[in-house]
Amino acid sequence: MPETGATQPKSDETATLLDPDFMTRLEQLEIVSRKIHASRQRGERRSRRKGESAEFADYRNYVVGDDLRHIDWNIYARLDRLFLKLFLEEEDLNVSLLIDVSKSMESGDPSKSLYAKRVAAAMAYIGLCSYDRVTLCAYSDRIVGYRQGLRSRRMMSRVVQFLDEIPIEGKSHFSAAAKQFAMRQRQKGVVLVLSDFLDKGGFEDGFRYLLGRKMDVYALQVLSPQELEPELTGDLRLVDVEDDDVAEITVSKLLLDKYKANLQAYCESVRGYCSQRGISYYLAVTKHPFETLVLNYLRQRGLVR
Amino acid sequence: MKFLSLSTGLIAAALAIPALLLLYFLKLRRQERTVSSTLLWRRAVQDLQVNAPFQKLRKNLLLFLQLLILAAVIFGLSNPVANFIKAQQRNIVILIDRSGSMKTVEEDGRIRLAHAKDGAMDLADSLQGGSRAMVLSFADRAEVVCSFTDDKRRLKRRIEEIVPTDGPSKLGEALQLAVAYSANFAAGAVDKAMRGSMDTADIDLFSDGRIEDADEQFVTRGRMTYYRVGATIDNAGIVAFDVRRDIERPGEVSIFVQVANFGPEHITSDVSLSLDRKMVSVQEVTLGPADATTTRPADLSLAADGGRATLPPSRNVIFKMAHTAGGIIHVKLHRPDAWPTDNVVTAPIDPPRDIRVLAVSSRRPIRYFLSRAFKLAFQIEDFTLMTAAEYEEADDSALAIEGRSAFDLVIIDKHDTSRLWPGNYIFFGGIPNIPGVARGDDVDDQVFVSWREGHPLLRHVKLDNIFAVKWSRLTLPKHALQLIEGENTTVMAFITEPGHRYVITAFDLMESNFIKNPASVIFLQNAVMYLAGGGLTNSDRLITPGDTLAIPVPPGAESVRITRPDGSVDDIDVADRSIATYARTKDCGIYKADFDDADKTTETYAANILDPTESLIAPNEHFTVGAEDVQTVSGDIKVNEPLWPYAVAAAMFVLLLEWWIYNKRVMI
Repeated sequence: MPETGATQPKSDETATLLDPDFMTRLEQLEIVSRKIHASRQRGERRSRRKGESAEFADYRNYVVGDDLRHIDWNIYARLDRLFLKLFLEEEDLNVSLLIDVSKSMESGDPSKSLYAKRVAAAMAYIGLCSYDRVTLCAYSDRIVGYRQGLRSRRMMSRVVQFLDEIPIEGKSHFSAAAKQFAMRQRQKGVVLVLSDFLDKGGFEDGFRYLLGRKMDVYALQVLSPQELEPELTGDLRLVDVEDDDVAEITVSKLLLDKYKANLQAYCESVRGYCSQRGISYYLAVTKHPFETLVLNYLRQRGLVR
Repeated sequence: MKFLSLSTGLIAAALAIPALLLLYFLKLRRQERTVSSTLLWRRAVQDLQVNAPFQKLRKNLLLFLQLLILAAVIFGLSNPVANFIKAQQRNIVILIDRSGSMKTVEEDGRIRLAHAKDGAMDLADSLQGGSRAMVLSFADRAEVVCSFTDDKRRLKRRIEEIVPTDGPSKLGEALQLAVAYSANFAAGAVDKAMRGSMDTADIDLFSDGRIEDADEQFVTRGRMTYYRVGATIDNAGIVAFDVRRDIERPGEVSIFVQVANFGPEHITSDVSLSLDRKMVSVQEVTLGPADATTTRPADLSLAADGGRATLPPSRNVIFKMAHTAGGIIHVKLHRPDAWPTDNVVTAPIDPPRDIRVLAVSSRRPIRYFLSRAFKLAFQIEDFTLMTAAEYEEADDSALAIEGRSAFDLVIIDKHDTSRLWPGNYIFFGGIPNIPGVARGDDVDDQVFVSWREGHPLLRHVKLDNIFAVKWSRLTLPKHALQLIEGENTTVMAFITEPGHRYVITAFDLMESNFIKNPASVIFLQNAVMYLAGGGLTNSDRLITPGDTLAIPVPPGAESVRITRPDGSVDDIDVADRSIATYARTKDCGIYKADFDDADKTTETYAANILDPTESLIAPNEHFTVGAEDVQTVSGDIKVNEPLWPYAVAAAMFVLLLEWWIYNKRVMI
């Protein structure tokens, strides 16, 4: 999978993706969808459809052809009419993790890609423990890695392997990648997008594609402390790590203030776009422990419980 | 504060500042940094640039520092000055006195001329662009040091080259040259405005103000400013000197010396006489302080010899010695003072010799008078008497020896002649047939109006009771010296030509009471002493520094080597010439001329300053030219103090500051 010249994930990164204690705590969590999605397979989640679980749902009149086993004979005895007893259907949940692995994710200390991978690993583990159907999708300007149909915690090793082997390279183009993902992933479910969203092609179209599939979308914008508080001085020639675009600047307080204002405005624009469309947005700074993010914040926001 | 080269500074600023700003737009060699995205940076830069086109330059400390450096350098280029003398453009003639008194050593150990040159160079420095100056130096003669130019470096270089002389200071020739050069330069000026300004070229005189002929001069153009140079007043020197050999006792030499004190204190000093560097005699003199009101040597007078408080400021010292050979005598005043030049007098003396006199007269009374005078009164053995006809018919060998007159003195009565070998001639009622001399109509009923009592020929000659019935109106060359003047005519004149000296008397001895008066005898004795060398020292052997030497060339000589007082030598070609002239006599001392003839003839000359005007070294407080007071600039001459070094220092400081700030930022 890794291409020639691509940045290889470091082995120690993999080793430290998830801590065993932390994994134990994750086992107690599950991913919550604000929507109930129809799935093909039965799972541990209540389905909108009526099914065969032990949980009573409703009654309806018997029509010819219904399964006689579901007739409530007690009602028939009292009322002399045939009613069919309906039970709730239980389905599994599709949990998709869209991970931005473009070059820009490599920057920062700690790097944004490592942070994103850790969050992705944690969320995947939560999903696997809940018998959800987990899909991993790594993208830059297109989908560069895709693994679907992962269920049960036995698949965690594959998750780790996937995250371990995925290269950090290429330009980011969220819209193109999201379009590809939407075309490929036809089942509804929860989608968590992990990216810095520093995408010159814009982020709006990408979310639109995901929303078009009626997916429950969560956006996690990952930024490094260096991006929030640049430590630059003097006359500089800034080179974009993705497209080699150059910006010549003379660092001054005025320029730094302008940059920070622009960054804040940009993050606000992402947040605003998301909130208007029912997308949960969160800004994560890599200097904060990701465990806190998963255990506290995502819990508070309702993604996990 | 003024800017002497404002235009230069403005041009530099117009070129350099835009260039620096342009470089700031273009040049910056930026450090390369990789960032996750330039998206937001671009937006930030664009926002700033949209708000202000020169935003790139705003709050850029390094640029401001560089602009500051540039401003400092441009400030320096503008040649800022403080304490300026004169703001407007001017054209000036700088006159620098280099006479003997300018050799006076001031308290700082530098001679007065060095101070004058400093002042002149500062003045040249302060000239604004477009102003022009010329430089003349003068002592007894004026010399153009640098013609009109606006090149300050050239002016300063030429001023620096001026050297002092021992000569007296005379301003006349320098003023004439200044006016002439101003007029010539103005005539040649293309620019009308410049021509106008040249007509009014100002004269700036750097001198101690002791100038002999200042009263006789006047400034015809421009305004004169006198920059008083020097402060030292302590000096004593020898102001008069004479050497005579007694005619009756030729082996006895008398040396007369007048010593004067020009300082404010009493002085006691030894005066020594040396012959050929061997001390012969020493006398001690005590002199009182100079009269505070004394400004002119004519005021020097012998006061009654009383107590110390009334000691005269000058005294005569007389030495007598027996010496029958030749040699060189030195008289020295043993007192170190600020101007040592006038402390020494040198003079060559010749061995006693018989004086040969020729009298040419066809008239018995005159022949009788002259015979009696020379033979009996002056005891001159070698006295020849001829008539005019005999003189004209005499063989050349009888009248001349080796191309020179065979006689030390020739007296010609009532006769015009062209037979004039190099020598000394006195004409009574006749004239020499030489260019420039002619006799006109007679004048009568006139009296002698004035005469030069101080001239060696008329010394002690009382002419008050002398009259002549009539005399001829003489036409004389311009350099003729009038000894006796009538109302508007010349009665007696003295003409010096190379090798010749003529005394021309316009009246006939027979039409005057001159020969009946003792004055005639004294006059003839003076003539014997002064013209014939009867006073031992041939008077033309003693010169004033700057005079031209006229050295008779012996037969067979082709060149002469002049050894100067400082030991340097000059070789002069004298082939086919009877007189050799030599003018490089600016220094006091002995000038020795060695000919390359068979006899290896040697002639010795001595240059002595002997000028009370020069010896009075105290700078003149108020300088007057003619009857006009000249504006005086005294004390420290105010000159433009250049400020560019401070500007350069500021630039250096800012440069260091920039370096420090840069390093501090890099090290973050």
